[in-house]
Amino acid sequence: MRRILALGLLLCAPAAFAVERDFGDLVRALSDELHCRPTRIPFFGLVNLVAFVAEPAGAKHLDLAIFEHPNIDVRAEHRLLQTVQRAVGRGWSPFVTVRSRRSGQFELVMVYMRREGRDCRLLVTSIQRDEAVVVELKLNPDGLERWIADPELSARSVHGDSTN
Amino acid sequence: MKLAMIGFVCLLPMMAQDVKIPASIEKLADKASEVVDVTLDASLLQLAAKFLPANDPDTAQVKRLVSGLKGVYVRSFQFDKPGEYQASDVESIRSQLRGPNWARIVGVRKLKSGEHSEVYLRTEGGSITGLAVIAAEPKELTIVNINGPIRPEDLQELGGHFGIPKLDGESGRKNDSGKKDE
Repeated sequence: MRRILALGLLLCAPAAFAVERDFGDLVRALSDELHCRPTRIPFFGLVNLVAFVAEPAGAKHLDLAIFEHPNIDVRAEHRLLQTVQRAVGRGWSPFVTVRSRRSGQFELVMVYMRREGRDCRLLVTSIQRDEAVVVELKLNPDGLERWIADPELSARSVHGDSTN
Repeated sequence: MKLAMIGFVCLLPMMAQDVKIPASIEKLADKASEVVDVTLDASLLQLAAKFLPANDPDTAQVKRLVSGLKGVYVRSFQFDKPGEYQASDVESIRSQLRGPNWARIVGVRKLKSGEHSEVYLRTEGGSITGLAVIAAEPKELTIVNINGPIRPEDLQELGGHFGIPKLDGESGRKNDSGKKDE
């Protein structure tokens, strides 16, 4: 029985590690590109404890990295797009991309999705001139339904939800 | 044989999204004030279909439709001023929809506002296997490609989901108020 359990753990570990690695890889790649480190968020573990119990907006788990005041040049849009595309692993499917330059403002949102058992994971990168956010969400069916109903609005709301 | 295999592998991405976005359209992203790109391939659609609740009348129909689809692709460009894209850019899409399997079923042109909306259907062996929408306005261009069995009237059900704009069932006209209501 123990051997079966150990084998099961061994088989599941690479998949779990791959998901973690993608978030970490993306954060590291953006750190290098933006020349700044993500802001440390105290007690962030508590957020996941709440998410695990209450599943707010369908989110069961959350990883978050916020880069403050990176002072991004609008002309860097293509480079940032490529940086994110390179950093995101093959297991993720591109879902939504929003690029906006309205009224001189700059916004780039990229959302990737992958299935994980009965749930699904979203990897969201939202970059504005003075702030960049990377979020990885594990969603239950309710959370996914909201994203499917309006991918563009959901993608845009990530920046506001995570930083306000 | 190897060459045939390589050729087949190279063609796979094209088959996945049967209306290809030409380079001239891709370049519009540099001029656009806003670009929205929604990609739902077969695996994401299956996931979506599995997760949508069947007991909710609003989503049950969408769930049924989605479970048979192979891909939904939406590309939307918004511009600050008119004239940022040319008729030839739209023509590069339209020319792909003149193939033997495609037929234009709706075309609405409003001279006053400059709106031009078209709905195309792809049929194979008497069955509908795809649908494409081109919605061109002076400051906005939206291209929707749905790959899989879908009826024109199903567009109304899918409108407002997956980034597909809501369409007026009578004319195939894009319904802006519906889009903003979401």
